[in-house]
This record gives sequence, C-alpha cells and structure tokens, in this order.
Amino acid sequence: MELLVKSLPLLAHGAATTLYLSAAAIVFATALGLVLALLQLFGGLILRALVEVYLYVVRGVPLLVLLFAMYYALPYADIQIEPVTGGIVVIGLYFGAFMTEVFRAAVLSVPKGQWEAARTLGLTTPRILLDVVFVQAMRVAGPPYINTCIMVVKGTSLVSIIGLADVTFIGKQIVERTLAPFEIFGAVAFVYFVICFALSRLGRHLEWRLNYVP
Amino acid sequence: MSIDLSFLTRVAPTLAEGLSTTILLAVPAILLSATWGIVVVMGLLSRFRLVADIARSYVEVVRNTPVLVQMFFIFFGSGFAGYPLSGFTAGLLALVLQNGAYMAEIYRGGIRGVSHRLAEAGLALGLTPRRSFGLIVLPIAIRNVIPPLSNQGVLIIKDTSLVATISVAELTFQARLLADRTAAVFEIFFTLALFYLVLTAIFSGCMRLLERRLRLA
Amino acid sequence: MSPDVSVGSAVSAEIEIRGLSKWFGDHKVLKGVSTDVKRGEALVVIGPSGSGKTTLLRCINLLEDFQEGEIRIGGEAIGYTVDPNGKRMRRGEAEIARLRAKLGMVFQSFNLFPHMSVLRNVAFGPVRALGMPRKEAEERAAALLARVGLADKVDAMPSRLSGGQQQRVAIARALAMQPKAMLFDEVTSALDPELVAEVLDVMRQLMQEGMTMVIVTHEMAFAQAFAHRALFMAEGEIVEQGEPARLFRDPQSTRLQAFLKRFKQGYQL
Repeated sequence: MELLVKSLPLLAHGAATTLYLSAAAIVFATALGLVLALLQLFGGLILRALVEVYLYVVRGVPLLVLLFAMYYALPYADIQIEPVTGGIVVIGLYFGAFMTEVFRAAVLSVPKGQWEAARTLGLTTPRILLDVVFVQAMRVAGPPYINTCIMVVKGTSLVSIIGLADVTFIGKQIVERTLAPFEIFGAVAFVYFVICFALSRLGRHLEWRLNYVP
Repeated sequence: MSIDLSFLTRVAPTLAEGLSTTILLAVPAILLSATWGIVVVMGLLSRFRLVADIARSYVEVVRNTPVLVQMFFIFFGSGFAGYPLSGFTAGLLALVLQNGAYMAEIYRGGIRGVSHRLAEAGLALGLTPRRSFGLIVLPIAIRNVIPPLSNQGVLIIKDTSLVATISVAELTFQARLLADRTAAVFEIFFTLALFYLVLTAIFSGCMRLLERRLRLA
Repeated sequence: MSPDVSVGSAVSAEIEIRGLSKWFGDHKVLKGVSTDVKRGEALVVIGPSGSGKTTLLRCINLLEDFQEGEIRIGGEAIGYTVDPNGKRMRRGEAEIARLRAKLGMVFQSFNLFPHMSVLRNVAFGPVRALGMPRKEAEERAAALLARVGLADKVDAMPSRLSGGQQQRVAIARALAMQPKAMLFDEVTSALDPELVAEVLDVMRQLMQEGMTMVIVTHEMAFAQAFAHRALFMAEGEIVEQGEPARLFRDPQSTRLQAFLKRFKQGYQL
C-alpha cells in the first residue's frame, strides 16, 4: 500500500500525459471526422471514393500496427516529428475514421422533410446545414461521439508500447521494478476509469441539455 | 521513394508464421466473448437487484479501462500470484472479459430494439410472455445484432495484435521482430496491414453471408 | 428567355406547365402533363394514389426532377432552360433557390423545425433567404401567426402544438416569404378529423384573399365548395378537369366515375 502512495507522483505525471494525449487526439479526430463526413456526404465521386478507401483501410488495420509503422518509419522520414506528436496524429487519424461514420450517420438521420421545407423557403445547402440540420444531427451524434472519445482515451494506452511515458507506461515500469501488479495496474485502470466515466457523465449531461424542450 | 516489391515475398513468410497464432487467438476470443456476453446480459436483465448490479459494475469497469491494461493486469498479476499464465492465455482472457461486456451491451440493445408492440402482438395471439419472447422477439433481435456483432468481431481480430506486447508470437510480433533487424520498415508494415485487411475482410464477408441467410430464413 | 412569352399574357398565368414528363426506368410517373394556373386561381388536384398528383406538385418547385417539359413561375422557367440549339440545361442552384422562394409549400408532415420556436420558424425564411433584419421578420411573423389564429403560441415550441396548430404555423411560415403561389401537399391527411377544419378555414381565407394555390387533397367537400378548378389525374395524366361542382356531379370519364363511386361508398355496408 505504501508503494502505491510512493508511486503517486509518477503515476500522476503519467496521467497528465494521458490526458494531454487524449485531448489532443480527440480534437484532431473530431476535426478530421467533420471534414471527411462532409466530403462523404456532399463531395464529388472521386473525393467520396478516396474517403471510402481511407475508412476501409483504417477500420481493417489495428491501431498498434499504425503506431508501430509510424514509430519505425520516423527515423527515415524527411520531417522531424517528435514521437508524441506522431502518436497524437496516428491516433487522431485512426479514430477520425470512426468519427466520420458517427457524423455521417447523424446528418443522414435528420428527416428529409427538414431539408425539403428549408429548400422550399429558398435556402441553399450550406445555410440549411448550419441552421437546420446541424442542431438536429448533434442530438443524434452525441452518444456515439462520446463513446468514440472514450475509445480514444483507451487507445492512448497503446503509446506505452512505443515508449511514450503515459500512465500505462509508467505503471508497467513500476511493476517491472517492484512486482506489485495488482495495486499499480489497479491504479492505472482507475485513472482511465475516472477519465472515461467523467466523459460519459459529460455526455449524458450534454444529451439532456440538447434534448430539453422548454 | 520506390518500394522493392520482391521484398514483399520475403517478408510475408516470416509474418505468416504468426498468422496461425493470430487466428488461433481470434477465433476462440470471438466465440467465447459471444458466449460470455450471453451470460452477462442475462445478469444485466436479471430480476435480482444484486445480480444486475454486479453485472452492471463489471460492464462499466471493463468498458472504461483499456484492454491493454487489463492484459497487463492479468499477465503480470497471474505470475505474481503464483499461477503464471502464458501470454496467450492472459491475452485470451482479457479479450473475452472486455468484449464479452461489449457483446452483452449489443445483445441488450438488440432486444430493446425490437418494438414491444411486436411482443404485445404475441401476447394478443395467446402466447405466454416467455414464448412471445422466444418465438417473436428473439429471432428478430438475433437478426438485428449481426451487424454490430460483426463490428465487434473485427475489433477483436485487431486487438489480438496487443498480445505482441506480452511476447506472444502472432502477426504483429513477427513484424516487429523483422523491423528490429531490417531497414525495410515500409514493406514490413505494409504487408502486415495487408494481412489484417484480408483477415477482417474474410470475417466481415462471412458475417454478411450469415446475415443474408438469416434474412431469407 | 424563350421567345414565345408575349408581354400581354405574362400577367395571366402564374404557373405554366408544358408537356411535363417524368419516369423511373420503365415506369412513367407523369405523361406529358400541361396546364396553367392563373393568378388568384385555386386549383385542386385529385386522383387515386400513384396517379402522379403529388409528383406533379413537387415538380413545380423542383423538389422532384423531371426529364421532359417546362415549368414557368411568373414567366421564368424553373430548373431547366432550353438553349437556342434545343439542348436542355439545368439552371444554377442559386437560381433554383430564388425561384423556390417565390413559391410556398405546405407539407403533409408539417416539417416544422423542431429546435426553433414557432416565431423563429416563421421568421426563418425571410431572415435567411431574403436577408431581412430579424426584428422586421419577427414582426411580420407575429402578424401572420395572428392571421392564422395562433397569436398566443408565438413562443411555443412545435412539439407542444397539436397537428392542426403545427400545420397552421407551416402555412404562416410559407406565407412569410410572400410567395406568388402556394402549393399544398395533402396537408390535412395526417391530421385527426377534428383538427382538419381549422386548417381548411385558413386555406379558404387565403383563397378569398386571392392567393394562387395548387392543392393536392382528398377533401372532396372542400374542393367542391371552394376551389375554382379541379384536375382529376390517373396514371400520370390529366383525365378530366373543370369546375369542381360540375366534375363531381357529372363525371364524364369512366375512371373519374369509378373514383368518385369509391369515395361516395365509404363504409356503406
């Protein structure tokens, strides 16, 4: 037990890294998902095909493989990127694909009648998206979006395998030194649990706020 | 940058040594998760408050923690406790525990998703609640859950890559082995990605066949 | 602009439909339909399901595409123009949007924007499509809502209103654009019977005020009493047309006779 207390500062440091990685990857994945979803919905044939290919590849290949690929390829790359940034980009690219599907399904779930009514008033697609469709799509997208964010948080644990000092990596290091797997990995799991649980709470609150009709 | 294609034919065999392990891990993981998920969902839907609470807590803990951490917990924990499990077994256990919970949620959603009006129609015809469930709700729910189950199966196949970190010689482990020795990293990981794409494509294809069979039935 | 539009006749027909045809593969939904809707005319379109009456209506404001024919709103062709070589060209999205704004449409399922109050729903078109300042648009909206009898529901959300009330809001929303003509797509079919009258009252009021209207409906009594002209459609064609009272009293074609017979029979045992 005192081991746990002694390890707290180290674990806290790791937790901060995990939080940072998660937040950055979520932002990147969300932005990417929005762009790709719009392309998939409104883009021309070639753009749509490209997005489809990208989604198919990302969904069929493990995140770990992508991280390894980045890690091993980094020394050969022309551009100098820090592994942390590389990790965020890869995780963002990976989950961006999932976000795309979430946003696309949400927009498609808005009844056609809404589009028709807005067109009848003489509006064009961009205006309709912003004023009519977006709010209604957000209501649908909320829960699966939060779920995907939780997946991102859990996905950041894989950076421990390529040597980035997130909370999983720190935990593994401590365990290898002290051989106290239950307490330490329990603590690591607890960190993730708190972050993910907080996210799902936030999600439920947002859902309530968006759906509340005065 | 030009890719030396001939190297691919030299990379693939080494990777393929890990292929059997990947499949040997993925198939039981999928089947056992699906089965364990049934047990869990029965717990979730149980009339007994205690059982339902235990099931709910289990699902929440497992869904909010990374499967990698669970693997480490089981692998290192088992060794420490005196009953060391192999990386393969620990990995399998972690995969089943994690995905069983997700499968349970999928089952729950599938049952919920069948309109209760259909169950009512069964009751109106004179069926007991149990028969109405078994003859009407369940078949429809089974059809409904095939797509999300198929998704989950793909995730399981991909998650088998994680056991490479606990020294199980599957596909990704083999790739890393090669990558540590040679410089042709693009070729190695490109081939590795291809392997997974083919695996997931075959699996998805089989699930779609199953879907079509069930629709027509 | 097509050269055969003479200045003298430009005033009379608000909507001109010429040789309108639409098909899906082998299935022809509209077969060369032609008619004019004069300014201030209330035209009712009736017919069995699958007759193409709804498709015809939705072609007028190009919610549905058509392969052949021409539709003019106030003299301007909507959707497609024919260039000097006879080639058909689709007009730009902005052009189509502009012409759509001249027509108001009311839908069977109301299609009110659920995340906006009733007032904002009605003001939305003028603000976003006409660039009107919000305050002015909301004043216009409030006046229109009073006209349809919903002055007290101005700040309510659509989900709180009955079907009849929602439909009246939908009518007000269309009127806010000050359209040249209004299109009604079976606007009472989804309403409980006791709520139908309040919507028909508003429509009758509009007719009396001289609005040009094209109404697809099953409300025969209403059509007979108030519409100026009726079109009976079947299988994509206009089978018979004329003054509603005469049409219902004295149907000439066998198809119209059969259609009306089914209506009159109702639930006779």
